[in-house]
Order: sequence, then structure tokens, then C-alpha cells
Amino acid sequence: MPKKGLVDSVLAGLSVVAFLVALGMVFFYAPREATMGEVQRIFYFHVASAWVGFFGFFVTFAGGVGYLATNNRRWDILAFSSAEVGLVYISMTLVTGMLWAKPAWGTYWTWEPRLTISAVQWLLYVAYVMLRGSVFSPEREARFAAVYGITAFATVPLSWFAIRWWRTIHPVIVSGAGMALTPKMIHTLLVSIAAFTLVYVTLLRQRIALEHERDRLAALRLHDEAAAL
Amino acid sequence: MIDVHALTKSFGPRQALAGVDLHVAPGECVVLCGPNGAGKTTLLRILATLARPTSGVVRIAGLDPAKAGAEVRQHIGFLSHRTLLYDDLTAEQNLAFYARMYAIPDAQARIDGLLERVGLTARRHDLVRTYSRGMQQRLAVARAVLHRPALVLLDEPYTGLDPLAADALTALLTDLTGEGCTLLLTSHNLQSDVTLNRRAVVLNRGRIVYDVPHTDAATFPALYRELVQESRIKNYESANPEPANGLTGEWADHELRITNYESSLQNPKSKIQNPSFFRQVWAIVAKDIAAELHTREIFSAMFVFAVLALLTFSFALDLRGSLAQAAAPGVLWATIAFAGTLGLSRSMAREQQTGGIEGLLLAPVDRAALFFGKALGNLTLMLAVEVALFPLAMVMFNVGLLRGGVLLTALLGTVAYAAVGTLLSAIAVNTRAREVMLPILLLPLLTPLLIAAVKATDALLEGATWAEIGGWGQILVVYNLIIIAAALLTFSYVIEE
Repeated sequence: MPKKGLVDSVLAGLSVVAFLVALGMVFFYAPREATMGEVQRIFYFHVASAWVGFFGFFVTFAGGVGYLATNNRRWDILAFSSAEVGLVYISMTLVTGMLWAKPAWGTYWTWEPRLTISAVQWLLYVAYVMLRGSVFSPEREARFAAVYGITAFATVPLSWFAIRWWRTIHPVIVSGAGMALTPKMIHTLLVSIAAFTLVYVTLLRQRIALEHERDRLAALRLHDEAAAL
Repeated sequence: MIDVHALTKSFGPRQALAGVDLHVAPGECVVLCGPNGAGKTTLLRILATLARPTSGVVRIAGLDPAKAGAEVRQHIGFLSHRTLLYDDLTAEQNLAFYARMYAIPDAQARIDGLLERVGLTARRHDLVRTYSRGMQQRLAVARAVLHRPALVLLDEPYTGLDPLAADALTALLTDLTGEGCTLLLTSHNLQSDVTLNRRAVVLNRGRIVYDVPHTDAATFPALYRELVQESRIKNYESANPEPANGLTGEWADHELRITNYESSLQNPKSKIQNPSFFRQVWAIVAKDIAAELHTREIFSAMFVFAVLALLTFSFALDLRGSLAQAAAPGVLWATIAFAGTLGLSRSMAREQQTGGIEGLLLAPVDRAALFFGKALGNLTLMLAVEVALFPLAMVMFNVGLLRGGVLLTALLGTVAYAAVGTLLSAIAVNTRAREVMLPILLLPLLTPLLIAAVKATDALLEGATWAEIGGWGQILVVYNLIIIAAALLTFSYVIEE
């Protein structure tokens, strides 16, 4: 088996194992939260997917910077692949957030700022992906997407500040006074984050490989067309 | 004048140029032939600095366009498929604008002379949109040679011209070669006065397949067809071992011109000044305002749209009394955001319509000046709409908007909006879904700006001072700084091909 294939297989195996361990810890290891009850367990998926969603956007930003600096297609593929995978995760964040919000706040959706920023993040991802599908030249597509990814990422910290200064009803998990979580909850959260990150890396590598295959296929088609002339 | 070695250009997996080597001496007139899709336009656009090569070496007058772009552009005139003129300006305004961009010292005399030469003096004050295709092409030629370039690149210059206009163009090109100007033109007309008795370079599938030192009516058209139809690719060097050296007859005359032109290039800046950054910014702003004053198209659309948005919000939310006052900041900023999107989209579309943005890219303009010029033009339009909109909003919502803090918030918010909007509209205008792409790209990015602007306006209307609104003001300032920095760093990647 080629080295790359071996790495992918190991990563996929590790992802499955980590995910199963995380699931087990969420349901059998982490204690039942006193106020919110069983529904609080969705928090471990919600936070983990949010972390990966935002991390994916950082990778898109880094890929964009790399592409503009080097004009190397590999950076563009990294940025695009991370955006697509990140979009899945941020969608998961929104859905799990809404499932949590219904029993906790009595409504699936409220214009609470942190929910809003997740929605904005989702819209940024969607805009990025739509932009990629709407540019005529592949080279321009890569450049436009890089510029958009960089500019969008640059506004994220400001969005966070805007949210912090706005009145919020979101549970404060991390504050200056320390975490409002028991040690078992923290362990479960960290394992969930690790599992989600592993799955992200696995999916990212698969998506990158797919894009390279597409490039190869396009080159072969062009070669065949040229030979047929 | 032109030295190209191993030049390639790829668009994704498709290779438009596959290793082009070309040398054109100063004063030469070279015809570039080839079937559609051969790579002629791509080659010309790279030489004109409008496109970046994928690999290879390009030198214009001994200069590397990648390192000395502005200086190289001073030497180049380019006639594209598109006229690169502004439809909403007159012929004289178009040439005066480009004269400012190139900092031509004797601008008015040069413009008068060129308009006379292309036979447009009588129509100099008419909007370009009222010109026939032939007249536009003549004016485009005047624009291309306005700054007395040493190298003129012409892409299918005869397209759309009637026989009389074609004759006039031929006379003009002949004059240019007589003045020692280097010409490289593409043409499908193999038997015209311009293409015959010239050096012809045949390009096919991104490669030079033949380099004919001297075309003649009897043999060249047949040879060309044979080359293209049979794809009889010959190595450039073996087909033409001495492409531009050791010339006799007519070419000896070229050598004389070459000598003359080299002496003029010894001091290429003798007639050319370096355009100042601020003059270029102001020229772009003035051009946008002049175009808008001719049409009032963008202002009218934005203002009417803004009024409709105010009314729609009022009806939909049933805004009356204290509710109207409470909702006023949000409604006002949402209205500005929507109306601004409309105006920004139209403003950049105006640049793209006839290739005006390419005209700007051809000029020795600092890309930062280009960004600031467009952003300031858009800012002027948005502020003009707000000046008209605020009194209306004051009446409709019974709020006092004419306060120092509120106006400062409006200014900061609008500056940031114009900056990010200019960057993103330059992207959106190049997409398939251009009509809807700008709001999709822009509105999520505006989130912190809109939150801060609405909250600041709300607090200021309730009597807070600028110092008391604290973080919201800081967000507005920092957002401006971040967006302007990001736009300055990335704008050239957006507007260049």
C-alpha cells in the first residue's frame, strides 16, 4: 500500500475509534447536568463542531494567504477543501445549537448574539462556496476566493467583540472565574474536540485528494481533445 | 522592444501559451496571425501587463513588467477588443482622464491634435455612448497612443470598421510606424495593407509555428492556411534562424528607426512625468463624479431604493410613535446597507462595461491609488444619498439625526462600507451571478459594522456622548482600519487578470 494510502487508512481508523470513544464518554462517562438534564449532552457535539468549524475557517484563511503569496494551486485546494468541510461542521453547530435551545430557552431560534455569529459564519462559508462556483476562470476563482477568505476572516475577531459587548443569554461556559464544568465534563469535551478534529483532518485529506484527481482528469481530457484534433 | 522567452500561460488545466519565444526589435511592425483560440490575445494581454504569465521571461524595452510595472506601462499603448472608454463621458473627457493618469504635460494640445487626427473634433463634447462603432474605435486608437507609447499592441484593430474607417486606421498605423513606434497587431485579414509586406508571426495552439520575415500577397495567405489546417508545427528557430537580424531592403530602413528609437529610449522619462498618487486618486474620483453627473443613474437608483426601503420597513413593522423612534437606527442602517449594495454594484459594472478597468490597469497607476479612487468615488455617492435620506428619515421617525456624534458614526460606517464594498464589488462584477453576488458576499462581512453602527446611533440618539458609547466607536474605527488594510493588500489580486 502506498504511504499516502496508509496514512489515510490509519487516520480513518483513528477517527472511527476516537468518535466511538467520544460517544461513549458523552453518554456513559460525563455526568448528567443538574439544570438542563440529558439535553446538555449535545453540548459536547455543539462545542466540538463549533471549534472545528472556526478552525476550518482559519485554514481557509491560511490557504488563501499561501495561494496569494506563492500562486501554488495546492494552497488553493487546501483553502477550498477546508471551507467545504468547515461548512458541514458549522451547519452541525447550528443544528445542535437549535436542538439545545428548544428545551433550554423554549425556542429553536433566538437572536442571541453567539447563535447569530454562528449563522453569520455559516453565511460566510456559503458565500465563499457560492463565489467559487460563479467565476469563469479557475485562476481568478482561486484569487477571488483567497481575497474573500482573508477579508472575511479578518472581520471575525470584531464580530466576537461586538457579541461580547451585546447582552447575551448564552450559557457562559468559560469565564474569568474559571470553567462551569466538572472534571469529567471537561475530559469528555476535550475527547470530543479531539475526535471531531481527527474526523476533520480525515475528511480534509480526502477532499484534497479528490480535487487533485479532478485536476488530473481535466488534464487528461484536454490531452485527449488535443490528440483528437 | 519585446523579448519573450519560454512564455507559458495556463488557465487551470488549459494551456493557452505553450512556450513562446519572440523578439521584436524597436520600430518593427509585426503581424500576429493564428486561428481563434491560438493564444494571440493572451500573448498581447501579457505583453500589455494585463495578465501574468504562468512561467517564462518577458521584457519590454529591457524592463521586467513584474518588477517595473508602472514604468513598463508608460511605454505601452494597447487597443483591445473593447474600447476601454467610458460611455458616460465625452470623447474629450475620456482623453483628459487618461492624460491625467499618464501625467501628460501638454495634455490639451495632445488631445486637440489626436481628436483632429481621428476626425472627432466636431463630436468631442458628445458622450461616447452616442458614437458609432467606427467612431468609438477611432477614439480608442487615440486613447491607446495618447501618451506617445514606444510600443503599441493592437488586438484585431479592424473589427467592426467600415472600409473608410479601416483606411483611416491604416493611415494612422502607417504614421505611427513612420514615427518609429513598434507595432504588434493581430489580424485575420491576411491581404490588407497593414498585414502584407510585414513580418508575420503565426501562432497555433499556443506555439509560434512560423515566423515569416516578409509577407506577400501571392504566397502568404496560402501558406498560412496550410500551417493552420495541417498544424505543421515547425520549430521557431529552425524555421527562421535569424528572425529579426541581418535585415535587408525594407528592414534596413527599420534598423534606422530602431536606432532613432533606442536613442529616445535612453531617457524614457524625458517626456513623461511620474503621475502623483493623489492626482491619480483625484482623477478617478473626478471621472466617476463626471460620469454620474452626466447620467445621475446611480444616485437616482440608490435614493429611490432607499426611500422604498424606509417605507417598506415602516409598513412591515408598523412603525409609529416611540416604536418608530426606537427602530430608527436599525431601519436607517439597513436602508443604507441595501441602497449601498445597489450603488456599489452599478459603479463597478460601469467600469467593466467597456473595459474601463483595463484602461486603468494599463496606465502607470499605483494599485492603491486605484482602490482609493474607486472607494472615494463610491463614498461620495453614498454620502450624497445619505444627505438626501437623513432629512426624510428625521421626518418619518421623528428623530434628530443632525448631531455631531450621529454624523460621525454615519461617516465612519459609510467609509468602511465603501471600502469593503469596493473590494467585493470588484469581485462580484466578474462572477456569473453578478446581480446577486455582491449582497451575498458583502452583508455577512458587514455584521460587526452594522451592529456597532446601530448600537452607537441608538445610544447617541438617546443622548449619550461619543465618549460614552465606548466600544461601539472603537469597533467602527478598528473595522475601518482592518478593512482598508485588507483591501489595500488584496485589491491588485482582484482587479488584475
